[in-house]
Amino acid sequence: MKIKFFTILFSFTVSIGFAQEQKMSNSEILNFKNEVTKETKNIKSLKTDFVQYKHMDFLSKDIETSGKMVFKAPNLLNWQYTKPYQYSIVFKNNKIYINDQGNKSTVDAKSKMFEKINKLIVGSVSGNMFDDNEFTITYFKTKDYNIAKLFPKTATIKKYIKEVNLFFPENESTVSQVKLIEPSGDYTKIVFKNKQVNAKIDDSAFTN
Amino acid sequence: MIRLLLISFFLLQLISCKSYQIDDATVKENSIQEFKNPYFDNPEIDYVYKAQIEVYGNKLGGIFVAKKISDSIHRVVFTTEFGNKLMDFELSDNDFKVNYVLEELDRKMILNTLEEDFRLLLKVNHQVNQSFENSSFNIFKSNSNHKFIYFFVNKNSNSLTKLVSATKHKEKVVFEFESKNTTFAEIIKINHKNIKLKIELNQITN
Repeated sequence: MKIKFFTILFSFTVSIGFAQEQKMSNSEILNFKNEVTKETKNIKSLKTDFVQYKHMDFLSKDIETSGKMVFKAPNLLNWQYTKPYQYSIVFKNNKIYINDQGNKSTVDAKSKMFEKINKLIVGSVSGNMFDDNEFTITYFKTKDYNIAKLFPKTATIKKYIKEVNLFFPENESTVSQVKLIEPSGDYTKIVFKNKQVNAKIDDSAFTN
Repeated sequence: MIRLLLISFFLLQLISCKSYQIDDATVKENSIQEFKNPYFDNPEIDYVYKAQIEVYGNKLGGIFVAKKISDSIHRVVFTTEFGNKLMDFELSDNDFKVNYVLEELDRKMILNTLEEDFRLLLKVNHQVNQSFENSSFNIFKSNSNHKFIYFFVNKNSNSLTKLVSATKHKEKVVFEFESKNTTFAEIIKINHKNIKLKIELNQITN
């Protein structure tokens, strides 16, 4: 009796699991991609707050940090942590400027590397990552989200990242949540809040 | 001139051969047999710190995480601020297992140095071979593989404020701890004396 109960309960849970996340049909994928690509082409600037959760299985609690991100097309980016410490990283003129609680340093970004990081961060927030040759992408939908799951193709990236999940709220073309999953299964989840697209942003926002 | 050089050389030899001594310390008899380092001993706690590392003039930052995952093993992870892992180790008194290390950091010298540092930092129980005291500290000396570890416990606060790893003659690594409650160190400074490496850890609380 007990076993039967658990079997039913288990299959019920599993079917809920499946019902929650459905693969998109080919036409749905096409629609979704068109929408996102169209929207992101119009993005001149992006401003958002974020909360980052670092999950490691052996810890009892995720490590939570938060801050704000500012982007201005084509390639100005300021990613800033304000809690629980001050740390910011600015991408500007092919250089990376780091301010680690007052300790400042500059790194010359090798142009290709710089481009990749920039593209990954901006693409993660805006959602414009579909034409990338670096990833194989699969598409899912739930009641609340469209989800793009990116699997790296190159061995170099595979070493660091097993999978990137981008969550687009239903009827929105920008990302509200990113999950970067490591080969070990541990992951970093970033949730965006108070997003403003094409707000006026002064260049001084990119000085740290 | 040559004589002066020779004299300076011998003087230098004499000075550098001086054995490692603690200021005004006298030997204390009938002290404890075992010293327990309390700072990473609680398996319930995720020990999370913002780390700043200065190595030969280069500065880099990240997040340092340690947790006691069994009676004898600590897991240690170092990530960037963005969360991607740079290193992931498991270590006990005799074992050192590398779960992951970024290719660029996978150098024997780096790993050996960190293994030694983390073991000094995380190891809980130490046999005490000799005890000393001066006006400020009770000092416990533990012999370990041709090296000596000195634990400086502040007499007023009763907290471990300094750990020194030394050879017979000089300090090799100095750990300084700032702790409000004697069981958790909010700030840890690790300073190498023979290589230009400094690590500072500041507790992160949400």
